[in-house]
Amino acid sequence: MVTIELYGVARLRAGREVIELDARSLGEALLGLGATCPVLEPSIVAGGRLAPGWLVALNGAQITADPETPLGDGDVVVLVSADAGG
Amino acid sequence: MGRGGFFGRYLRVDLGQKRAEHVPLDEATLRAVVGGVGLGALLLGRETPPGFDPLGPEAALVLAFGPLVGTPLTTSAKLAFVAKSPLTGRISDGLSSSAFAIAGKRAGVDAIVLVGAAEEPSIVLVDEAGATLVPCPELWGRDFAISEASERLGQAYPDHRFAVIGVAGERLVRYAGIANDGRHAGRGGLGAVLGAKRVKAIGVRGIRPVPLADAEATLRIAKDLARRSLGPATEKYRSLGTVANLSTFNRLAALPTRNFQASTFEDARRIEGEALHETRERGRGSCKSCTIGCEHFFEVRPGQRPVKMEYENLFALGPLCGIGDPEVVLRASSACDELGIDTISAGGTIAFAMECAEKGLFPAGPLAEEARDLVFGAGERLLSMLEDIARRRTPLGDLLAEGSRRAAEIVGGEAPSFAPHVKGLEIPGYEPRALQTMALGFAVGTRGADHNRSGAYEADFSGKVNRFEPDAAEAAEHAVAAEDRAAVMDSLILCKFLRRAMDDFYGESAEMLRAVTGLPFEAKDLVEAAGRITLVRRLFNEREGWTPAEDTLPARFFEEKLPGGAAKGAGIDRARFARSIDAYHARRGLDERGFVPAEVAREMMAWMGGKYR
Repeated sequence: MVTIELYGVARLRAGREVIELDARSLGEALLGLGATCPVLEPSIVAGGRLAPGWLVALNGAQITADPETPLGDGDVVVLVSADAGG
Repeated sequence: MGRGGFFGRYLRVDLGQKRAEHVPLDEATLRAVVGGVGLGALLLGRETPPGFDPLGPEAALVLAFGPLVGTPLTTSAKLAFVAKSPLTGRISDGLSSSAFAIAGKRAGVDAIVLVGAAEEPSIVLVDEAGATLVPCPELWGRDFAISEASERLGQAYPDHRFAVIGVAGERLVRYAGIANDGRHAGRGGLGAVLGAKRVKAIGVRGIRPVPLADAEATLRIAKDLARRSLGPATEKYRSLGTVANLSTFNRLAALPTRNFQASTFEDARRIEGEALHETRERGRGSCKSCTIGCEHFFEVRPGQRPVKMEYENLFALGPLCGIGDPEVVLRASSACDELGIDTISAGGTIAFAMECAEKGLFPAGPLAEEARDLVFGAGERLLSMLEDIARRRTPLGDLLAEGSRRAAEIVGGEAPSFAPHVKGLEIPGYEPRALQTMALGFAVGTRGADHNRSGAYEADFSGKVNRFEPDAAEAAEHAVAAEDRAAVMDSLILCKFLRRAMDDFYGESAEMLRAVTGLPFEAKDLVEAAGRITLVRRLFNEREGWTPAEDTLPARFFEEKLPGGAAKGAGIDRARFARSIDAYHARRGLDERGFVPAEVAREMMAWMGGKYR
């Protein structure tokens, strides 16, 4: 089981903070996220990929957008806007 | 001179002599530095002698407009206040967006330069004919909130738009800001520079249209940019505003907490942007001529006027001081705005004092007595401290009005190792150990620790570098690129929130400049201008005593590891950081110590005028 945490606009739009699903890669997790929260498609996730301007921090640390990133049981995918500043 | 955008002159106002004159600016100079912070830095150097006191009569305060102000281009209603900072002793340029910027430009000038000091408290009224000094005893020393002073000025001079200082500027608080239309040029104490000149406010009246070389092309570009400014690249700012950063930064352990002793905050949920939006949001607004509308207003208490809140205010007056009560943070932010002090420096300096108090570092006597209840999380004490600082009305308030660096030198002991500043400017809301490309951007910044002149955090958040241990050369490359882009945006001047809405930043910027000015700007010209503008600033700093030792961070970031969260155990390795600084200097074209090479300096000074070495 993988946990996806939503922040900022993604949380606002989805109306949820956390989603749990089975996934073996980031791409699978994003596909699952899009299916669970269609309001995030296509401007935040699009067909198993992150839309431009969005990234994930795997377990809060490693930042990536690579859908091939492998995920294991207990991993946490933190979905964040790349426009982190201001 | 081209056919639009620039007027080819600036207004020089000598306050002591009560005299104003228009000084010509040639096309080559304007093309070389574009406008805004670039032009401001150039004029500051020209108008001041080496080693001057930033609060003395020989100091200059430059109000520099950009070539795009007054055009239909979105977010262009901006100006740069530029001076030597009384907080840092180095160059400081605070940007602000408002109708003031448009009116100032429409007075037919590319900049206004104030030199000298008024004999008595006064306001300066500027129009196309020049400037007038009007005594204002009814406004000075009366402890008016900035909103009230602005309102009185607006009633007295309805044709003018005003930039105003608060009580903190009058009292020469070293991080006092300048307010206009509810916006603030906050950083570096430029409000104190104006206060030292005994100027309460600058009023501008401008009716001359800013000429457009190619009005049709300008309008086409403006429409396209406005459309893109409403796209996904700016949704964060429109939906939540910059306060959205707080929860994300907390999760990534990049949220400065308790004076940088930690990078996660246990009460973040109470004050995060998402929660504020859900429970307290009462409206949105925008700067003049802006289509994005990133301003979000939040309720303090029912029936009270909602307060505008940004991430930097939220972090500095919240987690940095250990405060998780949203009402206190909103009140504190509002108090800073009305007193006229920079929220980041105020929060940073008070957080520093809280740590000193908790460690028992204040010398026995009035300071220790006053600091007894100044502990992390003490919300009401934070609020009273802001008032004490702005009015310098108590011994501790007077000390903290000097900023964290000077306060630490006076407190002594280990205090300087954790005073949260670079070059005297308090560090914004990005934990350096968790964002180490940004750490480099902070260290080398000409203004000090600065999230607006370096957007190097974007590299840390991009996944392109290891944010806990970036390669030195890569970090330097990203730091230079971010600094260069900011230099151009701040010279045009356009809002940085447009950055992701532009596909080809330098090319599109050149296209705008061609349409507005009629001058043959190309992308490569702006790439060159970016580096040149940074060198002008560095030359000014060198003239004012900059040494390579200033391009660093407080000892804490090298000696203490982060205690928890996703960045647990992160610290900055001194040797690797030194390599990054060396790589930055090399990439920037500086010599091995970080100085502008002599031959480059000579060449630049030939057209800059003034004595930079």
